Amino acid sequence: MSNARSTSIMGRESGDRVVLLLVIALALVMVAPVLWVIGLSLKHNAELMANTNSVFYPPYTITNYINILGTSSVFRWILNSLIVSGGLTIFTLVLASLAGYGFARLNFPGRDILFIIVLLGLAVPEQAVLIARHQIFGMLKLHNSYQGLILPGLSAPFGVFLMTQYFRAIPKELDEAALLDNASRFTIFWKVLLPLTVPAQATLGIFTFLWSWNDYLWPLISGTKKEMFTLTVGMASTQTNFAQSEGLGFLMAQAVFAGAPILILYLFFQKYIVTAVSGAAVR
Amino acid sequence: MTAHIEIKDVVKRFGAATVIDHLSLSIDPNEFMVFLGPSGCGKSTLLRMIAGLESVDEGTISINGARIDNLPPGKRDIAMVFQSYALYPHMTVADNMAFGLRNIGVAADIISARVAEAGRMLEIGHLLERKPGQLSGGQRQRVAIGRAIVKEPKAFLFDEPLSNLDAALRVRTRVELAQLRHRVKSTMIFVTHDQIEAMTLADRIVVMNNRKIEQIGTPMEIYSRPATRFVATFVGSPTMNFVPVRVAGGETGGATVILGDGTHVKTAIPTMKLKAGNFTLGIRAEAVRVAIDGQGVTSGTVDVLERLGDRTLIYTKLKDGSVVVAEDIGYSRVAVNDTVSLSIDGSRVHLFDASDRAWHCEEGLDG
Ligand SMILES: Nc1ncnc2c1ncn2[C@@H]1O[C@H](COP(=O)(O)OP(=O)(O)O)[C@@H](O)[C@H]1O
Ligand SMILES: [Mg+2]
Repeated sequence: MSNARSTSIMGRESGDRVVLLLVIALALVMVAPVLWVIGLSLKHNAELMANTNSVFYPPYTITNYINILGTSSVFRWILNSLIVSGGLTIFTLVLASLAGYGFARLNFPGRDILFIIVLLGLAVPEQAVLIARHQIFGMLKLHNSYQGLILPGLSAPFGVFLMTQYFRAIPKELDEAALLDNASRFTIFWKVLLPLTVPAQATLGIFTFLWSWNDYLWPLISGTKKEMFTLTVGMASTQTNFAQSEGLGFLMAQAVFAGAPILILYLFFQKYIVTAVSGAAVR
Repeated sequence: MTAHIEIKDVVKRFGAATVIDHLSLSIDPNEFMVFLGPSGCGKSTLLRMIAGLESVDEGTISINGARIDNLPPGKRDIAMVFQSYALYPHMTVADNMAFGLRNIGVAADIISARVAEAGRMLEIGHLLERKPGQLSGGQRQRVAIGRAIVKEPKAFLFDEPLSNLDAALRVRTRVELAQLRHRVKSTMIFVTHDQIEAMTLADRIVVMNNRKIEQIGTPMEIYSRPATRFVATFVGSPTMNFVPVRVAGGETGGATVILGDGTHVKTAIPTMKLKAGNFTLGIRAEAVRVAIDGQGVTSGTVDVLERLGDRTLIYTKLKDGSVVVAEDIGYSRVAVNDTVSLSIDGSRVHLFDASDRAWHCEEGLDG
């Protein structure tokens, strides 16, 4: 009797161990390139030109990082990226929440058609409108400005869609209870509904920030002045023609440097990112 | 504070469908009024019109003489308990109750006093700092009632508040609601499709069906003098027996009806008011008894026995095929396929004409 039980526990334990080993193996596969990049970033360019296997033994150096910080504009670029990504994230959340509330809760003529038009925006690739947008922004003298970098990202059909669906899923009876509780429309939005959308806000905010931080194409063609580069564009601008072969260590240090803020963001919002990704899969 | 609610000639349409059709109703101060009817008959819609959550297409609703049908919900001095409770999930129990008071700028110390008082009254004082997600169904239900109580409204509206509770809890909460209404002096309107809730809680019941009111009356009036065949069917368990009969006519006093199998039953329904012809006889099971020694007026074959403990329901088939449910004692000796003699209490029968209008017995007439 006790025998049967202990084998079943054994069975479960060894099953758990197999899963654990698989997870570790997968994690190694995932983390190996990252470690490779970090390793390369800690080597002299010249040494790597001879043989990249030198990454496995000393000497290691932080010269590459010092060189990055030595680039006069790098802190300006970080600031630009923070302003653009942060501003874009905040404005996207505000707009998507308001639009989502409107589509989910207000009755106005043309609402459903308008919603479909917004959704059609999902099907328009950025490249298709890039040239026209570049010209319009040129006429409006918006290039080389924060507005110019932020505005295009604010047409966020996915965000509007996400928030609309989220508001729709909240029972209308909550609004009605609040109406009977003497709440104004704004109070209902602000104190009753919006707090319930925090998970969606977190998802949308994180994805928007990550996307904007990594965005390269529009900042590259809109910000032509060095002091208006975002970090991605700025980093790329410091690369020499033969960076892949002659400046490998420096290149890798740049990658680490540009990715670090994302890593920090991830550590802070880990919980939300996991639920955001898995939630999207389950639903 | 209490409300006299006057509903006059109210109409409600959703698109082309008329859901409430020229309905009038007066609810007295401090009255416990129950709207009873099958699902989809418009009970919730009527309640929500009183609350201000649905617009009124025609007619007026007033409270204590002042029209309220054009006021926003918050200005009507009414509290509502929703079927789903509709608690604010991100707020604590205390904040749920305080929200409405904060919105009208009630002083913080008054709010906390009222919340504490409601917590005591509903025995949820120890839950004040929890969120609704951490409560059981019954506890959420109490919070929903507490949220209504702290507002000290002129009228309480309940939309099927017990239907999400399990059977045992529903009965207990029903009793508690009955106690509550004596402590909270206020007009109460309670919507349900459950006739037992209606019978046990109501001062008066409004029986609704199909866009209109079938009958308004005290529970016993509804039970013993149902105005229409619908009311007779809807209220009471088991459902009233309906048997096609002929009224001979030409008598004085109580009318004699003739069942399909030729049985004559002398009733206490005044003959004068009836035209001779075909009717439907309505008899509750409790008025049809298994008679000892073949003393009954008719007999039937037993199809099914339902033992309820204190009494036994006996489903019988008369000779002409009509089905009649009779009542016998708990330890009934009757068995399936027996032929039993049935007595019918002619002073507790009803007659319904072709348009389902009802005639009832009158005291002093022999049945
Ligand atoms: N918002 C609405 N739009 C269209 N039809 C509705 C709406 N609300 C209720 N109805 C219809 O009105 C009728 C009465 O509904 P309701 O008052 O909820 O009934 P009850 O509460 O008695 O079950 C139903 O036929 C229902 O389908
Ligand atoms: Mg309803």
